[in-house]
Amino acid sequence: MSVTRLIARDELRLMVRNRVAVIAFALLVLLTLVAVLSSWSHQRGNAELRARHQHEAEHAFDAQPDRHPHRVVHYGHFIFRPLGPLAAFDPGVDAFTGSSMFLEGHRQNTANFGDVRQSSLLVRFGQLTPAFVLQVVAPLLLIFLGYGALARETERGTIRMLMLQGATRGQVVRGKLMALGAVALLTGLPAMIGFVALAGQPGALALPMATIAIGYAAYLALWVVLIVLVSAAVRRSRDALLALVALWTVAVVLLPRVAPDVASAAVPLQNRLQTDVAIARDLRTMGDSHNPDDPHFAAFKRSVLDRYGVTRVEDLPVNYKGLLGLEGERLTTTLFDRYATASYDAQRRQNALVEGIGLLSPTIALRSLSMAAAGTDFAGHRRFLEQAEAYRYALVQRLNRMQAEDVSYADDTAVDAGADRRKRVSATAWQQMPDFIYTAPSGATLAAGAAPGLAIVIGWLALAAVLLALATRRLGARR
Amino acid sequence: MSHDISNAPNAIHIQDLTLSYDEHRVLDGLTLHVPAGSITALLGGNGAGKSTTLSTLLGFVRAQSGTVLVAGIDPGVAPDAARRRIAYLPENVALYEHLTAIENADYLLALSGDRKDRGVITDALAAAGLQERAWDQRLGGFSKGMRQKVAIAVALLREVPVLLLDEPTSGLDPRATADFNALVRAVRDRGTAVLMVTHDLLSAADVADRIGFLEGGRIVEEVAASGTERFDVRALHARFAVASKRLAA
Amino acid sequence: MSLVRYELRLLLRQRLTIVALALLGVLTIAALVSGMAEVARQRAAIAAVPAAQAEDIDAVADYVDRTKDAGSAAYYSFHPTWDAPAPLAFAAIGMRDVAPYIQRVRALGLEAQIYDGDTFNPELALPGRFDFAFVLVFLSPLFVIALFHDLVSGEREAGRLRTLEALPHGGRALWRRRTSLRLALLWAVLSIPFVVAAAIEGVSLPVIAIVVLVTAAYLLFWVALAVLIGRLRWSSVANAATLAAAWLVLVLIVPTLGHVAINAAVPVAQGAEIALAQREAVNHAWDVPRENTMRRFYANHPEWSDSAPLGPEFHYKWYLAFHQNGDESVAKRVAAYRAGLEARDAAGRALGWVLPSVGVQGLLTRLADTDLRGRLAYQDRVRDFHARLRAFYYRYLFRDLPFGKADFDRAPVFEDVPGR
Repeated sequence: MSVTRLIARDELRLMVRNRVAVIAFALLVLLTLVAVLSSWSHQRGNAELRARHQHEAEHAFDAQPDRHPHRVVHYGHFIFRPLGPLAAFDPGVDAFTGSSMFLEGHRQNTANFGDVRQSSLLVRFGQLTPAFVLQVVAPLLLIFLGYGALARETERGTIRMLMLQGATRGQVVRGKLMALGAVALLTGLPAMIGFVALAGQPGALALPMATIAIGYAAYLALWVVLIVLVSAAVRRSRDALLALVALWTVAVVLLPRVAPDVASAAVPLQNRLQTDVAIARDLRTMGDSHNPDDPHFAAFKRSVLDRYGVTRVEDLPVNYKGLLGLEGERLTTTLFDRYATASYDAQRRQNALVEGIGLLSPTIALRSLSMAAAGTDFAGHRRFLEQAEAYRYALVQRLNRMQAEDVSYADDTAVDAGADRRKRVSATAWQQMPDFIYTAPSGATLAAGAAPGLAIVIGWLALAAVLLALATRRLGARR
Repeated sequence: MSHDISNAPNAIHIQDLTLSYDEHRVLDGLTLHVPAGSITALLGGNGAGKSTTLSTLLGFVRAQSGTVLVAGIDPGVAPDAARRRIAYLPENVALYEHLTAIENADYLLALSGDRKDRGVITDALAAAGLQERAWDQRLGGFSKGMRQKVAIAVALLREVPVLLLDEPTSGLDPRATADFNALVRAVRDRGTAVLMVTHDLLSAADVADRIGFLEGGRIVEEVAASGTERFDVRALHARFAVASKRLAA
Repeated sequence: MSLVRYELRLLLRQRLTIVALALLGVLTIAALVSGMAEVARQRAAIAAVPAAQAEDIDAVADYVDRTKDAGSAAYYSFHPTWDAPAPLAFAAIGMRDVAPYIQRVRALGLEAQIYDGDTFNPELALPGRFDFAFVLVFLSPLFVIALFHDLVSGEREAGRLRTLEALPHGGRALWRRRTSLRLALLWAVLSIPFVVAAAIEGVSLPVIAIVVLVTAAYLLFWVALAVLIGRLRWSSVANAATLAAAWLVLVLIVPTLGHVAINAAVPVAQGAEIALAQREAVNHAWDVPRENTMRRFYANHPEWSDSAPLGPEFHYKWYLAFHQNGDESVAKRVAAYRAGLEARDAAGRALGWVLPSVGVQGLLTRLADTDLRGRLAYQDRVRDFHARLRAFYYRYLFRDLPFGKADFDRAPVFEDVPGR
């Protein structure tokens, strides 16, 4: 057996004999299992609930009686954000974004009913998911098991004994790395087994899964190297422990909380009221359908009349009110898109700032990597919102076109007793409306979103390895 | 230098002391008297009960039976009152590395409820043999002898009736040992009762007025430096060897 | 110089202590500043409401004034409501970053409006806020651990323990002094900046006193734990590791487990179901005789039943009546949903009685009115305001009164909670 492996075996034996370490390790495994199971059942429950709600909403939409198309524009449609299979591993912002959205004409609504507003205050302490266990808890366990790896030997002078026996500094350090690396592997294993179990689900993509596996492996490896590095650099075990716990606190607990505050102060977001008022203002200048003297709609009317070669809207072969609806919706949607894009871009800039701070905290980088690959980050939510908006627009315009073509202008403006009946379109039309189908991003898209985070984590790993190589040279040289 | 100690009051009074930890009897009818103004050295092997004797005097442990009095006070009943009358020098004098010699002395005196002016402290440090340039240095780089000088200076300043020394000369070179013994004698001459627990027969013979051999939790031999019991080192060595053998058996 | 001052000098000579106290001070001040900035942002956003609102409502008024139709006024007028932060909100942002504090409502169906959110970046909200409550609940125990893990064991390992205990003022009195001194320093570093910030923010004295006392009590809990573990006479390293593990369990793991358990034990009828049911009830009115709708409405609101009967033309009083009928048809679901939320909140609070971390967080957000109860209270105020809006517009609609420009100024105005 090589010296390195002997040293690794000795270190592992010491850990196994340390009852507290064994108990802590067992608890972590248990915690991971609980996290995997609860997260999986939560995700399953949520996915089923949303699928059921979606089904109910579609059924309700299709089951509408004969109606005027504009009624249906306001009846609207409910859609529910489906959960990707990897959301069970890392639900990301899912609890914060709201899962249901009401789509209707002339309005852009928010996604509502997020868990964060439906849970006790405990939700803000963090969520027990496999990702949380690996990001937050596992490094601390590794610290407890590994802080003394070299500091203990330096403190007691046994490092010199080892060297007198012919072990080189490199062998000693590699042995310790090997031992702690083995523990890290064991630590990550239950979560990874759970992760692979999720992969059995249809729709899980290989590339993002591989990205997540590599990312977490690199992250745990980084902590192993950092722990051995600090343990090599200080003279006493206690200093190593305190320094590592401080490092963990800053990187894992503190910076992830400070970064968002910095980002939200640096890039302000416009709130809904200001956005709504601004949209209304822009709309008034672009074209106000309520204003009979509005130049835009006057020009629109003229162009329609010219196109059909008539002088009165009553003589048009199509229902002018439907055309007005089409034009009005086009205008409002242009504005919705403009303001939504501005808001999304501001949020993207905020997130980029946070990711920049991730240069200081590998945990932030790993978190964005993990969420991006699982499709549960802001970009994933934005994908949903944009598809929802595209669907909303298509649906409303279909209905407006239906009003233009299938409801006569005369009927539409009539107020006699039978007019209400004549304005309605047959119920079969609703079943022919396409349902909302969320197009999930490709594996390559998800993996590409995770690339910056992965690069930062691997960069950290490389830096820590170089520092460890330097610290190794000075090992045992003191005193 | 001989002292008549037969009539002096006993500053340390231990009578028929018995103490067990679990099943193990550590002190077994120990009787020991140290009069004021005298030095008693307590010799004994490992496990003979030397540390326990000191702990009992300091009020850290309480005996199951027998009497302990420090300047007339039972430390088992009133440990604080007893400790106000004791200066204690542990085997390894450990002080605050990030404080200077003077600050250490100042702090320990404060904890003793016995504050002194800087001038008084520096006098004591000088008397304890610490060079002036070390007074305002942090203790980080001090040798054991230098640390001990700071501690003995504190003991000197305490002006208490009892001084307890735990292996004071282990690890000191002969010159430092001689200096230290001189200081202890000076304390004794002020009327302090000194009890010194040690392995170091030479040092004990050099400084003590009486030597007690502790074995199995009681005094098995007691000799004096003067009078009819007057000891010589060679004979002491022989007795110590016999005591050790008995202990081993 | 008193003994405490000796201890202070001794303590402040240690690099670890100085660094720890300075760091805690910096973090506390940063958290307070960040919280105050956030609250100032929210106040500024609320202060900007009237100007934006005036611009918006003027345009509606211009349009409505042509027809003097109260129904159009009711349909197109959005009325702002807001939840001004309580004075203590800066110290515990609570739910204020994820739940809207400005919301506009119109006199239509409220259940379709009241659950709307405001714009926020979910990735920024995910890790939680960096506020005073976070520094106190999450970080301060780590500083207690740093300062207390070697209180006795450090002296033992340095070989000074026997010397110190042999001194008349050493021993238990010494540990008491050192414990209280460290506790007092940590407490001061947390409390003094807080009191200054609270004074600036105009927090009332009793509330300041409670927070300062809670701070002391929470620190005391961790100190007691550290002292208890110190009693086991383990090494400093073992103490530190054990305490850090206890921190992990008490501050991170048990609350997250509790969250999973509570949400499983107290299922909440999804709010989405309310929205679906309400929409169905509202839209159904278009497919049934309008008299049915009015009959049902008048049964619940007899004060308007003497209104003129509906003609063949569209009338907004019918429109608003079926919106209100829609709200009333889901009232039971709404009550159940709310009861579910309150039950979850109560369960979380109950956990706070045994788990100091949760207890302190709960107490601070309660005092700051930024917890779920505060959110629900705001919803209640919105509901009250909405009822006033309805009554206001109904008077015009059911009595067929013209609604002119001047009438816009007569609309009810949302009122602040006194003292904010």
